[in-house]
Amino acid sequence: MLKNLLKKAAFSFLTIVTFWFLFGYSPSKKIPDDGKKHIQLWIITGQKEEIPYSVRMFNTVQDSIVIDLTAIPWQEHEKKILTAILSGNPPDLVSQFIPVAQWAARLALTPIDDFIQTDQFDTTVFFPALWQEMKWKGQTFALPWKTASYAFFYNNGLFKEAGLDPSKPPKTWSDVIEYSKKLVRRDEQGRLEQMGFIADYGVLPGHGDMPTSILIAWQLGAQFLSADGSKVSITNAATVKGLEWVVNFNRSYDTKELSAFISGFGYAEQHAFLSNKVAMMCLQNTFIEHINLYRPNMDYTVCPIPSFEGSTTVSSSGSWWLGIPRGARHSKSAWEFMKFAVGEKTQIEESLEMEEPLFPANHLAANDPAFIKDEKTRVFVKQMELSHSPAVVPLTHGVFWREYTMARERAVRGLQTPLEALEQAEKQVQLELDKAVRYDNYVRREIRFESRSNNFSN
Amino acid sequence: MLNPISQTLKSPLRKKQASLALLFLSPWIIGFIVFGIYPMVMSFYYSLCRYDVLRIPQFIGWLNYQELIFDDPYFWQSIWNTLYFTAFRTPLSIIGSLLLAVLVNSALRGMRIFRTIYFVPSIVTGVALSVLWMWMLNPQYGLVNNALAFFGIPGPLWLQSPDWSKPAMVLMNLWSIGGGRMLVFLAALQSIPNSLYESVDIDGGGWWHKFYYITIPMLSPVIFLWTILDVIFSLQVFTEAYVMTKGGPLNSTLFYNLYLYFKAFDDYSMGYASAMAWILLIITLLITLIQFRLGKRWVHYN
Repeated sequence: MLKNLLKKAAFSFLTIVTFWFLFGYSPSKKIPDDGKKHIQLWIITGQKEEIPYSVRMFNTVQDSIVIDLTAIPWQEHEKKILTAILSGNPPDLVSQFIPVAQWAARLALTPIDDFIQTDQFDTTVFFPALWQEMKWKGQTFALPWKTASYAFFYNNGLFKEAGLDPSKPPKTWSDVIEYSKKLVRRDEQGRLEQMGFIADYGVLPGHGDMPTSILIAWQLGAQFLSADGSKVSITNAATVKGLEWVVNFNRSYDTKELSAFISGFGYAEQHAFLSNKVAMMCLQNTFIEHINLYRPNMDYTVCPIPSFEGSTTVSSSGSWWLGIPRGARHSKSAWEFMKFAVGEKTQIEESLEMEEPLFPANHLAANDPAFIKDEKTRVFVKQMELSHSPAVVPLTHGVFWREYTMARERAVRGLQTPLEALEQAEKQVQLELDKAVRYDNYVRREIRFESRSNNFSN
Repeated sequence: MLNPISQTLKSPLRKKQASLALLFLSPWIIGFIVFGIYPMVMSFYYSLCRYDVLRIPQFIGWLNYQELIFDDPYFWQSIWNTLYFTAFRTPLSIIGSLLLAVLVNSALRGMRIFRTIYFVPSIVTGVALSVLWMWMLNPQYGLVNNALAFFGIPGPLWLQSPDWSKPAMVLMNLWSIGGGRMLVFLAALQSIPNSLYESVDIDGGGWWHKFYYITIPMLSPVIFLWTILDVIFSLQVFTEAYVMTKGGPLNSTLFYNLYLYFKAFDDYSMGYASAMAWILLIITLLITLIQFRLGKRWVHYN
């Protein structure tokens, strides 16, 4: 009898443990009982883990809210946050860089318009390219936090060797072609050793940079999405012209020769710009730190990205933002930190002490003399003011860039004309966008229906 | 008439034993249901939906399958790439590792060292292997092209060329999986009784007769097993392309599972990706069935 009882006890114990493991277990957040509100903030780390200035300061200047920082690895960030939201146990605040609209459309974020209105928060302090990224269907879902922009780098030493004057930066794309011809060098066997400018850097995986062809398209006024967000345009005249310029530029090289040359590019000291392989490149401001680290005595200049005669320079800046996930418990306290983190003084200090300095998203901070310490930063800040967001078709962001990159590759390799290649891309992106819009409409209809029948008020 | 199971269950002892058996099996059974059956059923349901994990699924019937087959050029390209990869990797890896096994089976001095050397690559894991071969295959600085240049052959662009990227991946796969299979073949080779070879000697046959009439038939169950497994593994190729090329150049290494991954975890089109997974399951089942049919003709079980 006792034996039987024991067996039954063991059985129930095992079952309970199994079920607890399978369904009930969730890593409990250890919240210290200190009477303060603890806010979970998830940020993405790079190579080094550093606690952002804003978090450290916020935890010291006030006494009611504590930011608990969790750094999640680069490769996992999106999946981790999505699973956390899905499990109903999300952090109170996340920092991300993928289009806000896509997250908002997935109902992953909480709108912050009420906070903005109640606090009379001034949203004009942000760079325009970043601020317009924060909205979806008339609501605001995040605040821009940090950013980076592109400018034109050139190697003064190589300029002198080629008989060019480093004090005269190329102003137009024709200048770039002109200079490039002088900067090409080959070895005795006729193999490419040095290039003037590289237009399609980024064709190779892992080297993803903003394509020159898109920068040109923006300079010429390209619009990739119709005002109502339903029609994609990749075959507009400006985009076609951008790609044509790149294809023509590459004509002066053999495709195979170029591929082989690019395959020799590496990282750190082996970066094409640092190893004297390419004399002119469009690079991000974080690259200055890269140069300081790997070739501190390099002689180079940063200037605005060239444009065509009559058009102005542009740059590209995507935003790192702060947003409150759906289902977060302490949204009001999270908002307090958001406001603090994008404040002018916090932004300056934070950018200055970062390992790989990103830009303040607050343009008052970026334009402050305390931040602009040299000519290079001044160029970058100016580029920032003229920036476009890379989230041109936010709902199908990944598909747009994948299709565009493939179209460019087909055109550069001569399989299709630029127009044909872009037509194919446009067709595919439109197909995906239609699907995304239909899904979005369906979900909105269902939610409205549900909230009516449940008599919810929002 | 009662069936035997219910009859056996009638006895109280049997009943007790059966429930005990269930108790001990329960970790597996629960695991299988929760992590095996449930995800499969759900993935089939999602394959009939638009679904992005965070929002409610929208039931759309067979539309995902229809779009895949009729509207998606990358789907067909990924199938072609994967079949190409499978068609070369499977036979080459089996022939290669079989020959390797025959070679290291000879009783030379220091053969153990050679066996170890050939086996070592199979210990290297996918990502490390891919990074290593990215440099081996580098057109300018890579060992492969430098070795070819030594013989006066201009090496191809390998991973940067749409024509050579798939052969490059087959090549590195042969290097990495050959050793492990060699070991299995070696074990099978050593289990062939010597008397069979002696009978060939008595009949006056040479090494070819030994190989063709004894070794191959005796190894055929092992070869058959590897053919089946290798086709399944090859159809699931992912890591190399994900690490080295992300599907490029010109989609020449966009393998089926890589495209599935892009759809699922870049675009969060979980319904679409689920439909792809089911199609892959059907393709794999079909190929395996055909192999079993053909296997009857050439596989000899003792």
